[in-house]
Amino acid sequence: MMSTIEEAVAAGKIGGRVWFYSNYHCNLQCSYCLTESAPLVKRRELGAQAIIERSREAENLGFTGFGVTGGEPFILDYMPELVADLGRRLPTVVLSNATLFNERRLREVEPLADLPVHIQISLDHPDPIENDEMRGPENFRKVVEAIPRLVERGIGVRIATTLEDPDAVDPEQQERLCELHRSLGVPDEDHVVRPIINRGRAKSNEIGVLAGFEQLEPELTLTADGAFYSPFAPTVRGGRLDTDLLVSRATAPVSAPAGALLRIADELPAGHDASIGIR
Amino acid sequence: MSARSVTTALVALLEREQAPLLARRFYGDGPASPITASLAQVPELLEVTLPFIAGALGPACLDERAKEIAILRTSALLGCRYCVQTHTAVALDSGLSGQEVRALRGDGEIEHVFADPRERVTIEWIDAVALGRGPVDPAITARASDLLEDHQLVELTLAVGATLMLNRYCSALELPTSAPTLERLAAEGLD
Repeated sequence: MMSTIEEAVAAGKIGGRVWFYSNYHCNLQCSYCLTESAPLVKRRELGAQAIIERSREAENLGFTGFGVTGGEPFILDYMPELVADLGRRLPTVVLSNATLFNERRLREVEPLADLPVHIQISLDHPDPIENDEMRGPENFRKVVEAIPRLVERGIGVRIATTLEDPDAVDPEQQERLCELHRSLGVPDEDHVVRPIINRGRAKSNEIGVLAGFEQLEPELTLTADGAFYSPFAPTVRGGRLDTDLLVSRATAPVSAPAGALLRIADELPAGHDASIGIR
Repeated sequence: MSARSVTTALVALLEREQAPLLARRFYGDGPASPITASLAQVPELLEVTLPFIAGALGPACLDERAKEIAILRTSALLGCRYCVQTHTAVALDSGLSGQEVRALRGDGEIEHVFADPRERVTIEWIDAVALGRGPVDPAITARASDLLEDHQLVELTLAVGATLMLNRYCSALELPTSAPTLERLAAEGLD
């Protein structure tokens, strides 16, 4: 017999993946960052033990995958081991800027090669100068160095390109970017293009597309500040956490925020989440 | 009661656009009360607290007048600026006279203003519950039991208890009284 969560996921009412905001701090300071992440911001770390406990409960409830984001997850020493633990149980994707994969880190993530784990890496432009304008100095070089080293170790890599207006992008530029990721060993099916969301620092900088809960897929997202409606929800602007897409402050037991998310999802019209294509 | 003007609270009061999804239905059409706008910080608590408050402080077996006597008197005894100011206006709307309101706020003798023995023992019970420690004095209990049915005593006691909770909540978080309420109290000479 299917659980309530399994039924809701199977029916497409809510996403099957549970997201964990491992932390909010980052070694970069991107101009469109949803969480105003930077080296010196409040860490807001969820903690390895909390992630493990909640992921186990989420698995038992019937969720079908895990996502880890931040901040930069790999700034945390325990992240490779934590992701391996998640990946041994359910398919897992980790969002990373890929600038911290030195030799030691590469050795630590090698066990991920045998697991249904993908590291989703941000790469926005085929040219270093334009890419680094939004993401910071040396970002391009570090990313194009890290990707093949991960790929050659058999680790699943996806590329995420975040653009102000994906529909208006120059086709020639887009093709050069695709040639680049193919040359780095990442096929087209593992390349996603998505718009900048007008929240967090992007809102302060007046860039990106507006996204309310009507445009977002309900995906349970657990952070140190509570449970949110989507991984695009726990944004920070002017140092202050946005609460408009907060589901509950409590994140455990996971059944509580999951139930609250289901109640919200039950009130949404069908097909609401497809409008800006940011899945 | 001091008319100290407080325009900001100790915590952020969430405007409608920052209200969490499950909190929005408590916002209604006009501006949300500071209690709602502060509780919205923890939406799962808002969802259980507001219905509880509405049940405990709204009329049931006791009518609105009796409930407002309990709320205003308790709030005055606890010195909760927000609750006294807000419920002074509500009490007037519930039919209490200006003289009755003043007496409940401590400005006037209860015995001289409230002639009904049932209301007088009600206030005596409120005072004992709000300020006392341990069981209520047996003499007061005996008088209350003579004039109030068990279910009325239960409802009255819960109203006092719920008000005590709100008094401490509103005072500690320094919730601001709305400008229209302050203007009205000034016009009534009850600021």
